[in-house]
Amino acid sequence: MTAEEVVTAPRRQSRRGASFRDAGPPVALIVIFGIFAALSPQFRSIDNVQNIVDAAAVLAVVTCGITFVLMMGSIDLSAAGVMGASALTVSLLVANNRNDNDFGLLGILVAVLLGCAFGCLSGLALVLLKVPSFMATLGVSAIGLGVATLMFAGVQPNISDAMLESWAIERFLGFAYLTWIAAACILVGWLIQRYTRLGRYAYAIGGAEEVLTLSGVRVKPYKIAVFTLAGAFYGLGGVMVTSQLGAGLVQAGDGYDFSAITAAVVGGTLLTGGRGGILHSAVGVLLVMVLTNGLVQVGVSPYWQGGVEGLIVVAAVAAAVIPQRRRNQVVK
Amino acid sequence: MKITPRPAAAIMSLSLAAAVLTGCSSEQAGGEDTSASEAGCKSADVRLVGQVRNESNPYEASWLAGGDAFAQSVGLKQERLTYDGDSTKQQEQISQLLAGDTKCLVMNVLPNGDSDTPPIVKGADQAGAYLVTQWNKPADLKPADYKTWISHITYNGVESGQQIGDALATAIGGTGGIIALQGILDTAAAKDRFAGLEASLKKNSGVKLLDQQAANFSRAEALTVTKTLLTKHGDNVKGIWAANDDMALGALEALQQAGKAGKVAVVGIDAVPDAITAIQGGKMTATVSSDGTWQGGIGLAIGYCVATGKLKVADIAADNRAFFAKQFLVTKDNAADFAQPKSNPADYECGNVFNRVAGPLT
Repeated sequence: MTAEEVVTAPRRQSRRGASFRDAGPPVALIVIFGIFAALSPQFRSIDNVQNIVDAAAVLAVVTCGITFVLMMGSIDLSAAGVMGASALTVSLLVANNRNDNDFGLLGILVAVLLGCAFGCLSGLALVLLKVPSFMATLGVSAIGLGVATLMFAGVQPNISDAMLESWAIERFLGFAYLTWIAAACILVGWLIQRYTRLGRYAYAIGGAEEVLTLSGVRVKPYKIAVFTLAGAFYGLGGVMVTSQLGAGLVQAGDGYDFSAITAAVVGGTLLTGGRGGILHSAVGVLLVMVLTNGLVQVGVSPYWQGGVEGLIVVAAVAAAVIPQRRRNQVVK
Repeated sequence: MKITPRPAAAIMSLSLAAAVLTGCSSEQAGGEDTSASEAGCKSADVRLVGQVRNESNPYEASWLAGGDAFAQSVGLKQERLTYDGDSTKQQEQISQLLAGDTKCLVMNVLPNGDSDTPPIVKGADQAGAYLVTQWNKPADLKPADYKTWISHITYNGVESGQQIGDALATAIGGTGGIIALQGILDTAAAKDRFAGLEASLKKNSGVKLLDQQAANFSRAEALTVTKTLLTKHGDNVKGIWAANDDMALGALEALQQAGKAGKVAVVGIDAVPDAITAIQGGKMTATVSSDGTWQGGIGLAIGYCVATGKLKVADIAADNRAFFAKQFLVTKDNAADFAQPKSNPADYECGNVFNRVAGPLT
């Protein structure tokens, strides 16, 4: 119970600041959506809105995982490797053109568990070997890519599993199954963050780990658990990419590590930990997807897009942290 | 190299050492050896090395397989090196190789980028190792100026971009809108291939380029970009031109998810196995093959022929020192021939190694 008070105390002090800050990213999302909608009739079509949400599915799941790690004040760069390994695993375990396996759901479960194992490895390296999370997860990413390359063995496995393929193609209420899976992940993530000890301790570790330790909380198991949870999300992300592409690619997770961190930060989850959360990150994911989609829809030349996108992201983050500037935080 | 007692450094040097285990203990070959080795090594003394970015894509995997096939045909083994697309790692591997016995060393190298070629070439030249490079080199760096850099092989991207552009135009009946998926915009391959598409568009005036977007040679990015472009242009899209097969395969998935599978023609470049299968199944229209298996074998074959004295560098025609190799348009008619990557031993006979020269690199 003592720990509980330590967690809530700093939040209570900045209540007004918090609500102001929390409003930033959703407002930015609405403004950017409004601007694109005004500029392009195709952008505001129902089809395109469905397209944006569908395209956000994988990033949303990966961002869910990374958000827990960021809340804790650590960083996680293992998404690319873990997703690659899980993509290859699932594509070799469900019906495919490389072997006679046909494990269906069980194969998907194994891939997610593999993600857990990789996440656990990151956590153990951080807690037991004292490797900074930055290096530990980078190493785990390399291990994941190595494992994936071994499984790849020169021939791309193409999946023919009807269920996994249908996830990307079949729709329910206008959205692909994958989108509903992502929505479920966000819900589960939010419930964990809000109602479990794991979620609340992740916040607390990011906010003030020393205080938590001094209060007699053993933080190490929670740190490992957070990385394991994140790994599960990456594992599922790898499965989802496989479903979308119809094949297991070593590069399945290429770029997702940094896109997910970008999305989380744009949404208001701070890299310093202790702030933000799953819902913030979900908004951040939508913001990033609206941006990439909108720039194509209004016809910005591909030569300009990268630069323009970066500029808007920096502007959005700057706008989101303005309310904090007064608090004179050190920015590293 | 400074040696520090840190474990990370130890692990790094250990792994580097492992990569080039055989050469570590030997003394560095002096400059004097260079002229002597011209006289000819014994076949069994030749050391064959194939270096590519990674083994995690079908193209480079087939490259290394081709190298293995050639090495086996002369009773040797190819050393396979991969550097994960990391320029620094590539240079380290090369310097480790060159620090060993370089007298009969033959290297078939895929430089990571244009700027990675000069240090490799200079190192090989000093050590007297035989070198064939492929794809990337700065325009002003020429094999003809070096003694042991035998050849540079590349492919005419303008030609392949145009070939698939024309195939796409034919497939959609000469009229209609197409969209283009570009590669990484600042690479020569992306620029040349797109220039080829523009040339094709000039010739096929009925075909209109509705939109062009970069999908960075990535299957996943192509999927997202194509879905966005399909919502933007709807049924006006009759064809999709992709600067490589991975993007073409991503576009195919996007078409399937949009319920337009089979209604839009798709073309790509590289002839990866999945694209060949898609062409055989009628889902894709065309691709272009550079024949990765051949690339993996030919670089070693050229080097082997020179190292064993069957070819003299001085006798190799100037046009064969840096050249565009022949590439093949793959359509449904000939897809079966490309379905199984195979190497033809006749290609690697010393009299035939330059048979696929399509033109000098200018």
